Amino acid sequence: MKPLLKDYRAWCLALALMLLLLMALFPTRMETQSVYNLMAVVDITRSMNAEDYQRDGKPISRLEFVKRSLRELAASLPCQSKLGIGVFTERRSSILFEPIEVCAGYSELDKAIAALDWRMAWAADSRIASGLLNTLQLLSAKDTNVLFMTDGQEAPPLNSRYKTDFSGLKGKVKGLIVGAGDLQAVAIPKFDQKGQRIGVYGPDDVPHRSSFGESDLNPEKIEGYDARNAPFGKQAAIGNEHQSALQENYLQQLAAESGLAYHRLQGSDLLYEAVKSAEIGSVSRVASDIRAYFIVMVLVLIVVIFI
Amino acid sequence: MTDLAFETPWALMGLLLIFLPLLRSPMQATTYPWLDIIPVDPLSQLINVLIRVLAMAAFAALFLGLSGLHRKAQHVERIGHGAHIVMLLDRSNSMDHSFAGKAPSGNDDGRDAGGRATQGAVAEQSKADAARHLLTQFVDHRPHDLIGIAEYSTSPLFVMSLTENKQAIHAAIDATTTPALAYTNISKGLSMALSFFDHQPVNGSRILLLVSDGAAVIDPDSEAALRVLFKQQQVRLYWLFLRTDNSPGILVQPDDPRDDNAQAMPELYLHRFFSSLNIPYHAYEAENPDAMQKAINDINQLEQMPLHYLQAIPKQDLSGLCYRWLTGLIACLLGLKFCEVRRI
Repeated sequence: MKPLLKDYRAWCLALALMLLLLMALFPTRMETQSVYNLMAVVDITRSMNAEDYQRDGKPISRLEFVKRSLRELAASLPCQSKLGIGVFTERRSSILFEPIEVCAGYSELDKAIAALDWRMAWAADSRIASGLLNTLQLLSAKDTNVLFMTDGQEAPPLNSRYKTDFSGLKGKVKGLIVGAGDLQAVAIPKFDQKGQRIGVYGPDDVPHRSSFGESDLNPEKIEGYDARNAPFGKQAAIGNEHQSALQENYLQQLAAESGLAYHRLQGSDLLYEAVKSAEIGSVSRVASDIRAYFIVMVLVLIVVIFI
Repeated sequence: MTDLAFETPWALMGLLLIFLPLLRSPMQATTYPWLDIIPVDPLSQLINVLIRVLAMAAFAALFLGLSGLHRKAQHVERIGHGAHIVMLLDRSNSMDHSFAGKAPSGNDDGRDAGGRATQGAVAEQSKADAARHLLTQFVDHRPHDLIGIAEYSTSPLFVMSLTENKQAIHAAIDATTTPALAYTNISKGLSMALSFFDHQPVNGSRILLLVSDGAAVIDPDSEAALRVLFKQQQVRLYWLFLRTDNSPGILVQPDDPRDDNAQAMPELYLHRFFSSLNIPYHAYEAENPDAMQKAINDINQLEQMPLHYLQAIPKQDLSGLCYRWLTGLIACLLGLKFCEVRRI
């Protein structure tokens, strides 16, 4: 037996065998990993049809870009994370389905995201603040974090006298407001009843100021003010509301009021980064495969035998 | 063999090391004055070859395992009972009301105001709630079905494509707890639901299950388009009509001929439209959750046609098998090591 002990090759083989047996006993190690439970609420109002993103040299709409980013987010979220989809229009959102596990349900998520369409909108207004409030109310009872994806275009324009109050819900739901669009205003495509594109919205197609309730200005400063007949003055409002740009300041302000973080959507990988850095994940323990470490050691040992 | 695949194919480059045992000997070199003096030993030669073969096999097993050899996820065709079902759910405001047409009183914990158990008699459930409970049960009873969900209000909402993922279906049905939306635009909802069957093989029965508490007028253009679609998609239509108290229902003929128009009696007219489609069609009128349960059970029994379905077999990791082989091979090599002749 003595000479065998001096043979390093025997030792290598024995050690390799021991490592393999050890590997059979402990093939995995428990590791902590951040997993996410997200509800993506997508703005499907008309302004999301504005085309200010580029993909492969072609202009694509904000909604299309949001959909692509969401699909890629679904692909990059770690398993056990959950993603649900909701849509926002008018002044509220509707949840299409509660979060489902991203790995098992990837193809379902993929198809559902692909099917998101501005034609799903059940009403035409775009009241971002009310929609956000409604979304937070819906989600406040659940432990779901929100991704509210919008361009921030309020239509018709808001009367600042009637602001949405987020104080009751501030901080109850964590998540991100994801701003889609470019800061440069672009035209909004217009569609006819059959869904055919018929040019873009013109200045005469949309209201340029709120004419709801009382004016937020001092009556003395309004030209042609009449308390009953012209509370907003006699002048026709002129404005730029038929074009749409990402209202970043407004969204940042909404984010601050509602206790959410703000992220501007530029690339889809960055969306996952933003989700990660928003620290909205929960820690889950997953078994990770560590057999490769054992095997590499075994490999070294057998190679040594032949040298 | 085509169903084998690798997790990290680049690790296969290590397979080049297979040739290492051919080039180098795993034995300790022993100096010997004159080799010709050693007698020919066939057994030793055999063992020498064996060692090299074993070592080569060990390298192969190691690198196949390291590259994550696995059998891809597969679908095996089986025959069972089931159907392809698209559920078209009404999300109009009125679905949030009870069968008595009111907002549901209190929360539905099965107890009335005095805290006594009501056995479901007094506690009011909204129609949407009742539908949700039953549909959830229905889904659980249908293991092999592909189920898809569409909803409609003023616009159709695409919710979940035809899928066997029951968790996803439950997630979509659960989401109807959120308040309903606006009006009832049934024609768009129907055409969206029918579009779910596009690009799906015709196999077993195709069912469109419409769950609504009201109907709306279908304009002539959509009516013509729907007729074509229903014919093309070869669906069987079930209409679960949740009748609210004092609403006319689908089977009541109007007393007054002046009321005999689609605006006054949209339900009756929708029923007539469905009946005139010449497709298998059945309407259930449910005034309360029990009647709904009966209708659902009925559908559950009727729709047990043989169905070819694909059973998913998840991917099988074969690296564990490779490593077990590796372990065995190393053990053999170690055993042979003990046979080595040593001279110090």
